[in-house]
Amino acid sequence: MSILARNNVVVSGSGSRPMIFAHGFGCDQNMWRLVAPAFEQEFRTVLFDHVGAGRSDLSAYDRTKYSHLGGYADDVIEICTDLALERPIFVGHSVSSMIGVLAANKCPELFEALILVGPSPRYIDDEGYRGGFSSQQIEELLEFLESNHMGWSTAMAPAIMGNSDRPELAEELTNSFCRTDPEIARHFARTTFTSDNRADLGKVGTPSLILQCSDDVIAPVCVGEFVHAKMPDSRLVVMQATGHCPNLSAPEETIEAIRSFVH
Amino acid sequence: MANATFCAWTGFSKGDLAGRRFQELLTLPGRIYFETHFAPLLRMQGTFNEVALDLVRASGERMPVLVNAVERQNENGEVQFIRISVFNATDRRRYETELLKAKQEAERANQALQELNATLEARIASELEQRMKAEAALRQSQKMEAIGQLTGGVAHDFNNLLTVIIGGLDAMDRVLRGLPATPETARLSRLREMAFHGARRAATLTSRLLAFARRQALDPKAIDVNQLIKGIADLLQRTIGESIAFEVVTGAGLWHAVADPAELENAIVNLSVNARDAMPNGGRLTIETGNAHLDEAYVESLDEPVDPGQYVMIAVTDTGHGIDKETLSKVFEPFFTTKEIGKGTGLGLSQVYGFLRQSHGHIRIYSEVGHGTTVKLYLPRANPALAAFQPGEREAGGYYRGSERILVVEDDDALRAFSTSVLRELGYTVLEAANGRTALDLLQERADVDLIFTDVVLPEGMNGRQLVDRARQIHPRLKALFTTGYTRNAIVHNGTLDPGVDLLGKPFTVAALSKKVRQILDL
Repeated sequence: MSILARNNVVVSGSGSRPMIFAHGFGCDQNMWRLVAPAFEQEFRTVLFDHVGAGRSDLSAYDRTKYSHLGGYADDVIEICTDLALERPIFVGHSVSSMIGVLAANKCPELFEALILVGPSPRYIDDEGYRGGFSSQQIEELLEFLESNHMGWSTAMAPAIMGNSDRPELAEELTNSFCRTDPEIARHFARTTFTSDNRADLGKVGTPSLILQCSDDVIAPVCVGEFVHAKMPDSRLVVMQATGHCPNLSAPEETIEAIRSFVH
Repeated sequence: MANATFCAWTGFSKGDLAGRRFQELLTLPGRIYFETHFAPLLRMQGTFNEVALDLVRASGERMPVLVNAVERQNENGEVQFIRISVFNATDRRRYETELLKAKQEAERANQALQELNATLEARIASELEQRMKAEAALRQSQKMEAIGQLTGGVAHDFNNLLTVIIGGLDAMDRVLRGLPATPETARLSRLREMAFHGARRAATLTSRLLAFARRQALDPKAIDVNQLIKGIADLLQRTIGESIAFEVVTGAGLWHAVADPAELENAIVNLSVNARDAMPNGGRLTIETGNAHLDEAYVESLDEPVDPGQYVMIAVTDTGHGIDKETLSKVFEPFFTTKEIGKGTGLGLSQVYGFLRQSHGHIRIYSEVGHGTTVKLYLPRANPALAAFQPGEREAGGYYRGSERILVVEDDDALRAFSTSVLRELGYTVLEAANGRTALDLLQERADVDLIFTDVVLPEGMNGRQLVDRARQIHPRLKALFTTGYTRNAIVHNGTLDPGVDLLGKPFTVAALSKKVRQILDL
């Protein structure tokens, strides 16, 4: 199976400069549906699903490979190489921020710029470091999926649309958003929330923008500040948007922030 | 904005909840998943249904719920509000857990069943094998038993006849000695000798059969086996000849064994003869003794019942041609012989076998074709308190005589006539009875009978033992000598004599009879 099929790569836009969007923990490339189109005129936009999410090839999911974020970083590099992208701008949400960092460290000249939305290099508190969670809380998190097995499947199964308020979405949703295999979701959660990439931040030579939400329980402000402090060529923007997914809850603010940076 | 029911469930007031976001009321994991999965879903889809989450009440308690959410937008596409419906899912969560558990149990049970099935075949096969082994063992012991019954019956009858024959030849010998020597008397003597030897050999044969049938009358004692073997060492050496090296290895601290010494000697001689025949071109015969302990595990593996415990072991080993597996399985059967016709009766090993079994012992053969054979005899250890039997002098020649009154009770006319005449010849006054009734009547009439000589087996309902008991009621000091060729009877329990009972086995010689009678009368 080709890389593009493996990651369900979708290329749009009429611009020449490439911009690649990487979704994070939760859902798939649809997370960018309110942001990516804004850049289609100027840029060549590339969207994809991480292996195990969305409409990626689930059979390509290798537990060992994807038990660390480097596995995902390798896939990003492969996509860029396969599409022969020239110095794309990498936009990563949540855990994909770190995936971008790892890819940049592996291929220093790969990206022109990094845009990290809600990044966190480590979620579990450590001595002298506040990630926001105790290891017990992370264990609880990982058990949550297990105990909610049936509730999860129902929610994450394809949702049949019948919402008269949003008829334009009716057709698109016959295939699922957030479609995911519970097993893979569990494993991805473990990989994400037990990761520690603090040491990788200092090596990034690419110019970077950090978009930090206010009141994000998953990547709190202190973490954003930490990332900014560690990354040499970085800029930190604290948004007004709250929660963890400004690309969905505050798309205009997000688009604006990105646009200012790339010009 | 929350309604009253929601406030009641969560324990928060409307005021507490105002301005707070729904996800703040969730457990941490729920909140994270809400932020990363359900909120996006709501944004993209406009709704989500039946998401299972846990609320955290004001008290800190968890409440399982199912949540529906719907986004309401205005005509500009801006979100006006989100309507969230919360359903109490306490029961449902419980059902789910139970269902999952039941599913796991079922899977486990299924797994176990599969494994059982897989092993079932193997288990059935092994059960069958065990069953067949047990049946084979039973068949074998039943076969031996049946053969024993047959041979015992025949041998008993033979014994009676032989007693008469030998008695007659004995008498002839006495008469001939009294005649002046002439060529005719010399010839007659020789003929008598031949007949006598023939009869003797026949007697030996029947006693071997009886031994196999475990119907010998044994006279077991506590014996020092090392001493016994030393006693017959010369005989053994002569028996096996010069081309075979002979060695005796006696175990130190050897326990005393319980066995009939004469029969044990017989058994060892028997085995030595077999050993000799297995080494036609010379070899080595070794007899070893030692203490042995047969444990539960060992006796369980045997076909015949053997009690676990302490035994004295005697091993007879040769370096002969050995016995193959098939032969080994039949080797104790009477009349089974590997020797050519005329060169062996095939009774030797069966006799040894019967003797061991009757002595509550055990016999085991180890053999390898081309290498040799070891026969191991196990005799029960004697109670250490018992004194060891000292083998007396061999029978001296001559007869013991007397003049006392003896009552002979025997239903076989010929045998009764013989015993009566022999005793009269020895000088005794003899009275006869053919059955217990007649004997008792006689005893009632006379008070002067010293000894009652009776067969154990009598007709008409009263056996010899019962007769003597009744007789002693009349004459308490009456002495008794029993005779029998057949031990399935009242005085011999499992081949052992009751203490205080004197027995003369058939066929008996005049000498034996005279000695025994004398012994008893002299007590």
